[in-house]
Amino acid sequence: MSTVICPRCAYETVDHVATSPVPGVWDVLQCGRCLYMWRTTEPERRTRRDAYPEAFRLTPEDIAAAQEVPAIPPLRTGR
Amino acid sequence: MAYDDLRGFLDTLEREGRLLRVPDEVLPEPDLAAAANAAGRIGEGAPALWFDNVTGFTGARIVLNVHGSWPNHALALGLPKDTPIREQVEEFARRWDDFPVAPERREDAPWRENTVEGPDADLFQVLPLFRLNDGDGGFYLDKAAVVSRDPDAPDDFGRQNVGIYRIEVMGRNRLAFQPVPVHDVAIHLRKAEERGEDLPIAITLGNDPVISIVAGMPMAYDQSEYAMAGALRGAPAPIATAPLTGFDVPWGSEVVVEGVIEGRRRELEGPFGEFTGHYSGGRRMPVIRVDRVSYRTDPIFESLYLGMPWTEIDYLVGPNTCVPVLKQLRAEFPEVQAVNAMYTHGLLGIISTRKRYGGFAKAVGMRAMTTPHGLGYLKVVIVVDEDVDPFDLRQVMWAVSAKVDPAVDVITVPGLPVVPLDPASSPPGMIAKLLVDATTPVFPDDRGHFGSPVRDLPETGEWVRRLQALRSEGVR
Ligand SMILES: [Zn+2]
Repeated sequence: MSTVICPRCAYETVDHVATSPVPGVWDVLQCGRCLYMWRTTEPERRTRRDAYPEAFRLTPEDIAAAQEVPAIPPLRTGR
Repeated sequence: MAYDDLRGFLDTLEREGRLLRVPDEVLPEPDLAAAANAAGRIGEGAPALWFDNVTGFTGARIVLNVHGSWPNHALALGLPKDTPIREQVEEFARRWDDFPVAPERREDAPWRENTVEGPDADLFQVLPLFRLNDGDGGFYLDKAAVVSRDPDAPDDFGRQNVGIYRIEVMGRNRLAFQPVPVHDVAIHLRKAEERGEDLPIAITLGNDPVISIVAGMPMAYDQSEYAMAGALRGAPAPIATAPLTGFDVPWGSEVVVEGVIEGRRRELEGPFGEFTGHYSGGRRMPVIRVDRVSYRTDPIFESLYLGMPWTEIDYLVGPNTCVPVLKQLRAEFPEVQAVNAMYTHGLLGIISTRKRYGGFAKAVGMRAMTTPHGLGYLKVVIVVDEDVDPFDLRQVMWAVSAKVDPAVDVITVPGLPVVPLDPASSPPGMIAKLLVDATTPVFPDDRGHFGSPVRDLPETGEWVRRLQALRSEGVR
């Protein structure tokens, strides 16, 4: 897996999530940073960094700026 | 005819020529989603799609577009498949009056046949998961009925919620999901998080067709979806007790996933191509830990494609959006004839009404915007006369083109709430709303030259029947 990078954010740590019930047909991989998940048999526009559309790419700044929805409420006290 | 599970409904769809089996081997991506996308591009009346030959899988059985046409929606309600949509909505509204119908508890649920739990609870071992759209962050469960309870009232059946939410698969036993703040499960989660607790949750997949309709329906907080399902089915909804959470789940589900929303935790979710025809996401959302999966032997994985409308979701939530708005308007204004709020889950709605006096139609339109569903939707309201069928867009466009004086009949109200998913809202959740009064002005609103309308001939109704009869003979 060392040559595989995340198509969406280019992170170099990719986890193996699942493998095809028919052995050797495909694997499901996941980025360790942006959590993007893909199957190795998907079209290149979803699986290769150089073919992944600009509009869907994420930068570390995008990830850091992601808003929390819904916001975590304050703990209820004095119960 | 009430269906107790998805399989019973699929049998009927097949018998009625409303289920298409795709015999070829297909790739999980992009074929499954592209086929379901295409169902919305081949004209009216697309069938449900069945796949059981998917590359790399053994024994996967996948069904898409189950609700994705008016004939299929009619059959889901036990109506003849040629029932016009306006009649389906009217019958839906009539059955609503039977609410509540208490559910029937059964303990022999077929999903008890198989169980995996703890570290063995691997969603990929049970479900043939696949991606829908190019920009989606992963694989989604988007037609599951999610059951949660109010942590402050865990025994209150009515405050147990059943809803459809988008759920992203984040790992073998992890999910992320989006509770829209106005939705019931968001209220449940806030209460749990205020206590510093996890929120137990049950996610049921592959349900009888009425459960999917009520789970996607805008209902009041203390109204039970199961009691509404009973009213719509004309028979009590069969429910069973989920083994881990103890929640009431559909007896007939293909798969029941149980776990907890981990309190006070968020992870990056999405994007996901939404019902608005636009992606949303890239935000940190609540996450679910899966602790137990129960499933029927050889489960059928039901999913739903959505993207640029129309897709299956428009058929699934179109009528169930019209009915609450229709009922709420008629409660105060019996003049209201019909409501068509099927566009983008009711971001646009068309109302036909009789008029009491000048300005009445505008008042009805504004009232629609302040109904519970209208508050977050109904960005555009078009009001038409009682003799215009709001489900016949040719007639609606005639009314707008011939009846509207833009100086008087087009009103914009700024600064109103809308679902944040509305891509035009700015900031998300805020929008101006538009009222178009395309009715004929009545006294004392004297203006225009509407005194001499051309009406259908008195004999036309009889000729409609004659032409239809001749045409159906010609088909034979
Ligand atoms: Zn990544």
